[in-house]
Amino acid sequence: MIGKKAAMGIVSLLIAVLIPLIFGVNQYILTVLTIMLVFIIYSSAWNLLALSGQGSLGHAAFFGIGGYSSAIIAKSLGFPPLATILIGGVFAAFIGVLIGLTCVRLKEWFLAMVTLGFAVLAHTITIELSGLTGGWDGLPVQKLIPITVSNYIMYEYYLILITTVITVFIIYQIMKSKIGLALEAIRENELEAKVMGINVMKYKLMAFGISAFFTGIAGALEIHHFGYITPEVYGIDISFWPIIYCVSGGLFTIEGPIVGTIVITLLDEGLKNFGWTYERYILIGLILILIVRFLPKGFVSIPEKIKAYLRS
Amino acid sequence: MADIGVLVPIMVWGLYAGCIYILLAIGLNLIFGVMKVVNFAHGELLMIGAYITFWVYTISGVNPYLIVPVSMFIMAIIGIAIERLCFRPIMGTGKLNEIFLSLGLIYLFQNLAALLWTPDSRTIRSPYSDILVPIGSIKLPVDYIIIILITVIFLIAFHVFMKKATLGRAMRATSQNREAAALMGINVERVDMLSFAMGSALAAAAGSLWVISGQMVNPYMGSILAIKAFAVVIIGGLGSIPGAIIAGLTLGIAENVVPYLMQSLAAAFNIAMSFSAWKDTIAFVILIIILILKPTGLFGEKGE
Repeated sequence: MIGKKAAMGIVSLLIAVLIPLIFGVNQYILTVLTIMLVFIIYSSAWNLLALSGQGSLGHAAFFGIGGYSSAIIAKSLGFPPLATILIGGVFAAFIGVLIGLTCVRLKEWFLAMVTLGFAVLAHTITIELSGLTGGWDGLPVQKLIPITVSNYIMYEYYLILITTVITVFIIYQIMKSKIGLALEAIRENELEAKVMGINVMKYKLMAFGISAFFTGIAGALEIHHFGYITPEVYGIDISFWPIIYCVSGGLFTIEGPIVGTIVITLLDEGLKNFGWTYERYILIGLILILIVRFLPKGFVSIPEKIKAYLRS
Repeated sequence: MADIGVLVPIMVWGLYAGCIYILLAIGLNLIFGVMKVVNFAHGELLMIGAYITFWVYTISGVNPYLIVPVSMFIMAIIGIAIERLCFRPIMGTGKLNEIFLSLGLIYLFQNLAALLWTPDSRTIRSPYSDILVPIGSIKLPVDYIIIILITVIFLIAFHVFMKKATLGRAMRATSQNREAAALMGINVERVDMLSFAMGSALAAAAGSLWVISGQMVNPYMGSILAIKAFAVVIIGGLGSIPGAIIAGLTLGIAENVVPYLMQSLAAAFNIAMSFSAWKDTIAFVILIIILILKPTGLFGEKGE
């Protein structure tokens, strides 16, 4: 008998696979869904780092570094995007470990500020290296699937869907494994974890590296999907989105970032079509505040809450 | 190389920018000291304060300096609301929650401002904006001098308040030891609330002075300023007013002088490069270096 979680996963995957077949190759729907998938990868990666108690406010740094390195390598060496996306991830992981080295000793808001600082720093350096990066204007980027292929947008969607599934599966395995347990132990009490013989530094760096790797891949996927990259990938909002998704969905769980990304993205898109611009961000801000206050385990805890309510 | 005639105005500009950072940092410092909460949305309080001044000025047209206390009062009330509705209920549930909550507040305030006042940059013209005071070889807008003076007055008043007034002493006691302060009969929750109100009012003062001196305000200006204020708090030390003053002025001057010097240096080697993009980055570089060397801040308590 398969678990409830696995069943839910398979059902949602089936839905994801069927959507293009049901709605046809609808450019709008597929674009929204593709970006949603990219952000599922991104949020899951952020969540993994948060699992170790390190709440980063500057993950856009890795998102952008993954994107830029993939774009530049694809352009200058002529590699296909599928290969450069991996290189982008590796590069982001490398930078992630370097940044992690400066961050392992920091706690809470110090860490938050420094990671935010690194994102601004990455933004500045990218603009300064305008010969390589195109400065403020950015660069045109090879598409993931050439536009000449008919229905390329559908293939892109499936490609990113496969990547998302693989990523979520790997992150799930990591969270279930000893590494995940070690990270949780560090989050709950770093000193105790150390006393129990957990190499805190090693695991924190590992979390940084893995998280940055997948974030880099997400960044590279997004820009190869859009076909261009600008320094806006380092924007503060890009750093904040995965946090909103993870917190609203449910922190430290595998399904939380997925649920959060889907719910908030659908809400955001729906309200956008409704004609709301700033109002919808106000609403999202309010939702975040209300969730932190009244539903600290996120949307995924709602069924439990309802059950507990019905039982009482 | 560097030209003194250019360097002096840049330094004066830095001094004036430093005053804004100091006002912001002292509020942040107070809230952090008393509640041990970092309000990442502190920059948004500055932004809303600036917009209130802009708004009241546009409607009434009175001397903008007279609006500063109005803006401070309104922000104090908003600050109380934030403390009671947002931060107090989640106190003690983990520092990550405070960060997430601040993010929610940032989204809320930024977009509320964009909704109410459009995302365009706004500014107001001070009635004194044409008056220039010659100091040595340079001419200085009189607004800058007024702002520096107002900051000095605020700082002295704040210092006296913290040293002499009963409430100020209660705030200091609470920030030193919350339990002991509560046992001594101090209503620490009331102290929390009033500290938050004062911090918000100081942020409003900083924002109002910023917009009066002809700087642009837009809904997204707050985040970077909040981080700079945080850098000032870290550099100057938690709870230290003199530290905040020195750090604020240093940061204000450094972020204006360093890019200029870098440019001059590059020019000396015949490299044409603009370093103006580095202006906002300097604070982070300082912050990162300090935190790498000393993870709890320059004057932070010892870990473990």
